[in-house]
Amino acid sequence: MVTKSEETQLNSLENQVDNGGGGAWEYLCLIRKLKVRRSDKVLKHGLSILNDPKQRSTLGNEEWTLYEQVAVAAMDCQCLDVAKDCIKVLRKRFPESKRVGRLEAMLLEAKGSWELAEKAYTSLLEDNPLDQIIHKRRVAMAKAQGNISVAIEWLNKYLETFMADHDAWRELAEIYVSLQMYKQAAFCYEELILSQPTVPLYHLAYADVLYTLGGLENLQTAKKYYASTIDLTGGKNTRALFGICLCTSALTQLTKGKNKEDKEGSQLQSLAAKVLEKDYKQRAPDKLPQLTTALNSLTLSS
Amino acid sequence: MAEDLVLDTAIRDWVLIPLSVVMVLIGVLRYFVSKLMNSSQTPDTKIVKEGQVVVRARNLRVGANFIPSKAFRARKIYYCNEENGLLFVPKGQGQNPQAQMFSDPNMAMDMMKKNLSMIIPQTLTFAWVNFFFSGFVAAKIPFPLTQRFRSMLQNGIDLSTVDVSYVSSRSWYFLNLFGLRGFFSLILGEENAVDDTQRMMQMGGFGFDPSKGLSAEKDNLDITQHDWALPNFEQRAEAVLRKVIS
Repeated sequence: MVTKSEETQLNSLENQVDNGGGGAWEYLCLIRKLKVRRSDKVLKHGLSILNDPKQRSTLGNEEWTLYEQVAVAAMDCQCLDVAKDCIKVLRKRFPESKRVGRLEAMLLEAKGSWELAEKAYTSLLEDNPLDQIIHKRRVAMAKAQGNISVAIEWLNKYLETFMADHDAWRELAEIYVSLQMYKQAAFCYEELILSQPTVPLYHLAYADVLYTLGGLENLQTAKKYYASTIDLTGGKNTRALFGICLCTSALTQLTKGKNKEDKEGSQLQSLAAKVLEKDYKQRAPDKLPQLTTALNSLTLSS
Repeated sequence: MAEDLVLDTAIRDWVLIPLSVVMVLIGVLRYFVSKLMNSSQTPDTKIVKEGQVVVRARNLRVGANFIPSKAFRARKIYYCNEENGLLFVPKGQGQNPQAQMFSDPNMAMDMMKKNLSMIIPQTLTFAWVNFFFSGFVAAKIPFPLTQRFRSMLQNGIDLSTVDVSYVSSRSWYFLNLFGLRGFFSLILGEENAVDDTQRMMQMGGFGFDPSKGLSAEKDNLDITQHDWALPNFEQRAEAVLRKVIS
């Protein structure tokens, strides 16, 4: 994940390059380092460097990395001719390279010839069974074709070997949520929380999934995770605040006859409601009456 | 005995500096030779998987307090189960990596190459130093030493009355051997192959690394208790919200 400082640096460089200042090469290097997906900008600036022979020669050996980066960006923007040209140049320079083979297979995938791409990927994997990128491209292809169950199968197999790859866990969790397989999604989010416990995004997603699953224990756990999200984001995450209110009202509905721990729950809920009102007053004052009616209905039904 | 010997500056010009320069040059030469001779090792799937399992198990241990106890217990059993747990390595298999390493021709060649590239220059340089630069005092160490070091540091000097701080060039060679590592990382970049000391330490404990890693993780995981940190978060969230409101 990109930190805030890196993001501001990237944006300032982008502004500089867009408005005609220099620094395109640094911008492209930064994008490559941070693995951010801004394909249209990469395509525009990368092509301007590559088409200018003087700038191209100053790059030296980095020229080929730039070709690769522009080829991928071109495929992302569906400029397949540009991508084909870049790959041809790379193939001429590195005739036996697996990396270029990977790019060619990606081009087949971008064109939509799924079977050819599948064959290319399988043959590449035979030579090099530990290439993570090819595994992930296969999953992406299955997902693009709509074969979500095949995608899940591939992704699970990938995770059996590379189980420390948190991006893959995140992808799997999102796929499960889209298929409403919430228990499995909860497992994936737990893995993510384990590997990066201070990222509030995962706490929030986990709490959402638990709240959706429902049931007394899950609701209590969900409330705790909404609270941890609030703690980690300093109270600024609106979704977590809403989550707290909803959880508390759902819990009180469930425990109507039992009367166990009413007091602490209601404090958190009233605090969250107050913060929400303050936030809405600042940012969207015309929606404030809707908010107050919604919150009142929540507390009334509890 | 306690008087100061005056060392000829010619010693500095013709012994210390040339010796250091020669060692630097040999190191650089070795770096380039190793780069040429380096055969890329394709990592085994099993080894990669084991590495990832260790990372995942470590994450579980570190972040155990952030997930519900039921989830933690389920995962703990998954890892440490006696029969098919991920981290469990039956005693017989532990020997495998070492045996495999000796029988696999590629790996044996690699090891031999690495060892040779380290041993030969060292031996040659040491012999050269001994032949040319022995029999005189080369330098004075700035701090006093005990008599024990005499045999180590004053090998060519056969006078027993000379202060132990006056050392022979052999000790200057050893000093350079260990000390130039930092210098090499400056001029050759981070991943130079000249880390003799590291390699020597590695040679001692070879081959057992993968299985040891797994069983160490398993032991650590067995010990970990689960202390769910989340309930505290509710109070902390309350405090945060109160601060936001005020």
